[in-house]
Amino acid sequence: MSDAGTGSVDRHNATGLPAQLLEEARRELCDDIVLGHGGRAALARYSERFDALLRQILAGATRIEQPFAVVAIGGYGRKQLCLHSDIDLLVLFGGRLGQPEEGLLRTLLHPLWDLGLVVGHQVREIDEFARLEVDNPEFLMALVDARPVAGDLALYRRFEAAFHHAGTHAHVVGALNTLIDNRYALFNSTLYQLEPDVKEAPGALRDLTAMRWIAALTDPSLLRRGPEDLARLDEAEDFLLRVRSILHLETRRNSNTLSHPLQEKAADILGYPGAFPQQRVERLMSDYFRHARIVTRALGWIRKTAPTPVGTNLGQTPDGICFIDTRQAAVQPATWLAAFQAAIDARCDVSDPALAIMRQHAERFRVEDFFPTPAHVAALMRFLRPGAGLYARLSEMHDCGVLGRMFPPFQAITYRVVRDFFHKYTVDEHTLLTIKNLERLATRSSPDRERFSSLLQDLQAPEILVLALLLHDVGKWRDEDHALESVRMAREMFERLGLAQDVRAAVEFLIANHLAMSQVAFRRDTEDPEIVRTFAALVGVEERLRMLCLMTLADVEAVSLETLTPWRAELLWRLFVDTYNHLTLGYGDELIEPNLAASTDLLANRPADLSESEIAHFLAGLPRRYLQLFDGEAIYRHVRLARDINPDEVHLWLEEKGSAWELTVVTLDKPFLFSNISGVLSSFGMDILRGHAMTNPNGLVLDVFQFTDQDRFLALNANARDQIFQVLEEVVSGRATVHARLTGREDSLFHRRPPRVKPVVHCDNQASRRYTILDIIADDALGLLYRISRVISQNGCEIDLVLIATEGHRAIDVFHITKAGAKLSEGDTLELSANLQRMLEGDHEAH
Amino acid sequence: MKLIKSIVRPNKVDEVKDALEKLGISGMTVTEVRGHGKQKGHTAIYRGKEYNVSLLPKMQVEVVVADSAADDAIKAIVQAARTGEIGDGRVFVLPVEQTYRIRTGERDAL
Repeated sequence: MSDAGTGSVDRHNATGLPAQLLEEARRELCDDIVLGHGGRAALARYSERFDALLRQILAGATRIEQPFAVVAIGGYGRKQLCLHSDIDLLVLFGGRLGQPEEGLLRTLLHPLWDLGLVVGHQVREIDEFARLEVDNPEFLMALVDARPVAGDLALYRRFEAAFHHAGTHAHVVGALNTLIDNRYALFNSTLYQLEPDVKEAPGALRDLTAMRWIAALTDPSLLRRGPEDLARLDEAEDFLLRVRSILHLETRRNSNTLSHPLQEKAADILGYPGAFPQQRVERLMSDYFRHARIVTRALGWIRKTAPTPVGTNLGQTPDGICFIDTRQAAVQPATWLAAFQAAIDARCDVSDPALAIMRQHAERFRVEDFFPTPAHVAALMRFLRPGAGLYARLSEMHDCGVLGRMFPPFQAITYRVVRDFFHKYTVDEHTLLTIKNLERLATRSSPDRERFSSLLQDLQAPEILVLALLLHDVGKWRDEDHALESVRMAREMFERLGLAQDVRAAVEFLIANHLAMSQVAFRRDTEDPEIVRTFAALVGVEERLRMLCLMTLADVEAVSLETLTPWRAELLWRLFVDTYNHLTLGYGDELIEPNLAASTDLLANRPADLSESEIAHFLAGLPRRYLQLFDGEAIYRHVRLARDINPDEVHLWLEEKGSAWELTVVTLDKPFLFSNISGVLSSFGMDILRGHAMTNPNGLVLDVFQFTDQDRFLALNANARDQIFQVLEEVVSGRATVHARLTGREDSLFHRRPPRVKPVVHCDNQASRRYTILDIIADDALGLLYRISRVISQNGCEIDLVLIATEGHRAIDVFHITKAGAKLSEGDTLELSANLQRMLEGDHEAH
Repeated sequence: MKLIKSIVRPNKVDEVKDALEKLGISGMTVTEVRGHGKQKGHTAIYRGKEYNVSLLPKMQVEVVVADSAADDAIKAIVQAARTGEIGDGRVFVLPVEQTYRIRTGERDAL
């Protein structure tokens, strides 16, 4: 019998130790099978024998530099390798594949092929697991059973870490459910097959595997909690494997159909009693159906009950987001926010049991326990982005006592009643309602709020606004000066969170001034330019103005249902527009004066290498707005960059800022300078999002561009920075032209699809005393800034100040320009506007 | 009796109220209204696009006073609401035929 089982080994080629090892392993397994014992234990032994065989083969391999691992996957990974099963392997490498790695693969695979084995091998570099192979679900499932056999264990652990996360798990479970449905369809969805396939049929081995996979990927406790006892499932599996082993032995191949003749054979080997073969077969098949029924019932329950994996220790059920392991959740408060985030992402609630766990344990934890690392703080900021469900989740958090533990200042206003004529809700609920109002602006655009919705869309970091709203009234636990008290309390919390300095500054500004805009809009004469000027000076830059405007709107609306009348909304909007125009159009007239009253702190805190006069000289004549745009560190850097600058030179600074890059250019003014610099960035595929360009009376130019590197040029090329710097130097000095560099990209730049927004060119000769102001709104496109500024320069105009903004798909650029040192004449304005309009509408002759 | 209906700048309403209270007139109705007179709104430009704000937000203050007190009340309102610029508003004076108290149904003596 045993000889028959080993028939597939090619004795002519299989010589030496591996052949011998395989021979022995097979003989041992065949001996078990003929005794009816070819079940779980025997197959595990055979799999381990095979592990040893692989290690033996690899022992003879030439060493390679990089780490590698040989991983058993699929049935072999589960240690259920049957006599004629395919050998499923994953060969994992730590780096790129080259000659030595191919050599190693040959050393591994050739002997296996020589032994006549069918090897299903997959070769991957570890980095390939960064992206899910969605088109290969069977492979992903086989990976669930991965087991390291040989090679580098640390590399294997890296694979595990890359593979096992909620996204992959959810995908695999989804794909698996589809495969189960398709497989069932092939069998007419019934387990009662007269000649069943003991691997594929409903209730057979694949169902058991599927059940274990779903539990492993969603909630391991499902196996214990199911309708069938775990021992009975193990028994079913052992039975099916014993039968499968017999089929392999008898057919000498990977055949799994329990046909009528084989049923007699199997019944005999498994020792079923009965005088006639038919009696023995009936007993065998009755056992088969009994086991198959248990398996289908268990699988059906698990499929129905398993949560969808949505995060570490988190699943989604029809009741909402739940913790998989509740004991673990109770002691890991740092994972709680993820439950609420998952609920927002899945647009569902957090389940009652999960809320109950948090309610029960919240009191034990402090801020630091919820946000122990910067990554947790970043997750908090992401959570606070206004969008559908934020108010509902914050309310759940408040209700189960988590909000006050995560944000201790919030505790002070829980159930707080402030008596006045207009507030209708307690301070905590008023606060949450402000966020609900913001959420509404973010998710539902009603005609009367459309303009405010668009402000919200334009915000670079709307989560800052939500954080400010959450804390704006915490100082109301006492009766006077609540804004100041709120700032104090918020500051204390930010210290504990280790929140970024710029975020802190913005939130503290908003909290401190959260009443300022309503006071001006509703109580002051906003037609008085002086009132607008003072208010503009308070907010300083557009982003803060937008946030304060939205904060005011949300705050007023949360006082009671009647407070935000269309009349008030109109007043607020008018103040916003007037202030916005003052900030973007009028700022060129307000310059930093030589007496430097505004920059005393800058001088006092200056680093040792900078003198007072050097800073003063740099600042004099720049728009006052400059001091509000940049913090001390950036200003000192600019002063250093301006040091010893000569004509045709550029001094540059490039740094990564979040998902974007920021380039600072200091140089001396000359014609076409701005279009040349922006053109160079475009020629490297950089998409300019935001920026400022400023010129001081001495012709010193300071340009700051924020851009995204869509082609990942900076990330992928070690010398990318030097290349960009070199080209900028060449182009600014006139040794190279940017036009030549852009020729290759011109097709994509100039032959674009029809514009989504009709371009707007607006010329204003009134808003500023010194400049003609060009307001341009157009579809954002690579190279847009280059093309606009080129047309301006071609019209003989000087570009003195530029504000660059991108909002959604729109580019919003404001240029302050002059011609021969003065505002443009009416004729010049008309001509320039016409040329710009033509260029923007796609008439390429304008170039 | 006269109904004095004045349309004033929103930011002037507190001053108007104070001035009337000084004359002993404390009952009044204040309404948020929108409209335009000669001022006809102005054209605001936001991001290069013009948008017309033809209806301007104003406050309407209504008081009913005895005929003899009307002149003083009008003077007080005009003085308090004036800035000297276009858009300061209007005061309308209307005769009141009868007034009733809803609570008692009693007719006030004119």
